[in-house]
Amino acid sequence: MSQLEVRDLHVTFGGLRAVDGMNFDVEQGEILCLLGPNGAGKSTTLDLICGKTQPTGGSIRFQNLEISQMWEFERARLGIGRKFQVPSVYKELTVAENLSVARSVKPGIWHALTSLPVRNSAKMREILDLVGLADKIGEPAGNLSHGETQWLEIAMLIAQDSRLILMDEPTAGMTIQETDRTARIFRSLKANHTLIVVEHDMSFVRTVADRIIVMNQGSKLAEGSIQEIESNEAVKTAYLGH
Amino acid sequence: MQSRLLYDIIGLALFAGVILFGVPALFGYDGFELNTFSRYLSLAIVSMALALSWGTAGLLNLGQAATFGMGSYAMAMHLKLKASGDNLPDFMSWNNVEALPLIWAPFHSLTFTLLAGLLIPAAVGGLIAIFMFRARIAGVFVAVITLAFLVAFQLVVIEQQGLTGGQNGLTGLAPLVLFGWSVDIYSLSFYYLVGACLMIALVFGLYLTHSKFGLILRAIREDSERTRYFGYNVANYQTIIFSISAGLAGWAGMLYALVLEFASPTYMSVSFSLAIVIWCAVGGRESVLAAAVGAILVNLAEGRLSDVFVEGWHLLLGVLFLMVVMFMPRGIYGVIVDAGRAMRRKPVSKKEAQPFETSLNPKRES
Ligand SMILES: Nc1ncnc2c1ncn2[C@@H]1O[C@H](COP(=O)(O)OP(=O)(O)OP(=O)(O)O)[C@@H](O)[C@H]1O
Ligand SMILES: [Mg+2]
Repeated sequence: MSQLEVRDLHVTFGGLRAVDGMNFDVEQGEILCLLGPNGAGKSTTLDLICGKTQPTGGSIRFQNLEISQMWEFERARLGIGRKFQVPSVYKELTVAENLSVARSVKPGIWHALTSLPVRNSAKMREILDLVGLADKIGEPAGNLSHGETQWLEIAMLIAQDSRLILMDEPTAGMTIQETDRTARIFRSLKANHTLIVVEHDMSFVRTVADRIIVMNQGSKLAEGSIQEIESNEAVKTAYLGH
Repeated sequence: MQSRLLYDIIGLALFAGVILFGVPALFGYDGFELNTFSRYLSLAIVSMALALSWGTAGLLNLGQAATFGMGSYAMAMHLKLKASGDNLPDFMSWNNVEALPLIWAPFHSLTFTLLAGLLIPAAVGGLIAIFMFRARIAGVFVAVITLAFLVAFQLVVIEQQGLTGGQNGLTGLAPLVLFGWSVDIYSLSFYYLVGACLMIALVFGLYLTHSKFGLILRAIREDSERTRYFGYNVANYQTIIFSISAGLAGWAGMLYALVLEFASPTYMSVSFSLAIVIWCAVGGRESVLAAAVGAILVNLAEGRLSDVFVEGWHLLLGVLFLMVVMFMPRGIYGVIVDAGRAMRRKPVSKKEAQPFETSLNPKRES
């Protein structure tokens, strides 16, 4: 059994079929890259998995549990984390506070009422070292640059420690060095996490992807290894136009 | 940072010193002045309660006066029964009520009264909150719904004359007897009783805002949508803080009825509810301590100035509110924080001065 099984997934917005009969599996510990032209439905597919959007049809099974009717927070508690395409961190909170919110092993109210937020733990410093934000720990997130904000959200997902992490364009706006660093982090995450990564940067995809799914107009156009995808005629047509 | 907690503790200690020692000495232990100040202190509690829901969680509750009123009526019912002895409360006879209504009976008990004044407002607040936050109502709609509730509730209280004394409220109350101590509202002991209640409320409020719970609420205020994807049941968090805030307002209402020796439907008026918002905004809604100080300062000013500008006071209050909104959106608290930061010669970031409007609509699309 695969960790995530998506079957015949549909969603329509008005008349637009944003996701139109998607079928795919994701195995424990792999990095699946989701490619496709703008508007192909990549972000919407992630939205359906994490609960931001309700499907109009189909099923999503995570660890053999049907999750398509669950609340967002229930899916998060089961072990699904999401990084959004537009970096979403809490600008009014400090970097440490952002991580403390993300670190939600016990998300219940009683635990929150009876504990103080962690502001500086070894685990937190380790994560911040990894993404190079160690010296920004007390800084309000609103003061970070765009690239640093991307890092912070990645750090938050590492802190959240979800089994399945959905990354929407994590390297957008990063320099080449930063992108390389992200690739290294993602490969190290593979040991304990499964990742679905939406990315446009092909060299990044080449370094991290175990498997690739190409989407076009809401459905799956091709699936396979990087070599298979790069030599696929249908993919070339979709990207380069007719 | 940790230092924020330190500043709050220092601030609370200073505040406690001024309230418990400074104020009585300043007024020469004059009974009338102490009573007036006790009134300000009870209002400080309802203001800090609003800071919890509005400042911390971004939920602007314009119905705060309703739960405040519930507390005041609970206390007044107890004292009215005491004043009436074996007879039916006088206003009931005037309204042709034959026997003591069922909901009045338990208010013979002081324990029940104290619990009711705290828990009924908390339960009502919690109930409204469940319906609002399950449906993911946010921003300005919270203000509209709570305001509508306030107006409806005040109407019901005025209508039900036989139960509530209608427009006149509950007057002619007996003094409270607490553990054999007959409370004299012009005494220093009573002032300390109200002061102690305020301090307990503030310590509780500061604990809440500095706990992980407070942090999650601030996260929810900024981006409730995002917070769900970290596994937090946002509606539950909002419901709990809303209910706590309503319970504290009820507590403040009980003290207020004691101080003024009557309960009136004017405690549940829209203008009273808006006044609470003004106190909280003037002090600074991000800090429970600042909100309490705001309530005391504005009421102190009202006490001094409304004699001078008898008719113009409300206009003055409105102008004050507009000035605060425009020139110091984070209230006195924001001014102090910015000044402190400037003294440490760090540039003050403009980003942090959050405009007032965003507080009405904290939900951001992600
Ligand atoms: N909430 C929504 N309401 C209406 N239409 C939507 C909504 N979300 C997405 N769409 C539409 O669905 C289509 C797929 O959008 P989606 O964001 O999934 O594309 P994408 O593959 O992530 O593209 P990009 O590479 O530009 O991020 C687009 O045409 C988009 O306009
Ligand atoms: Mg997208």
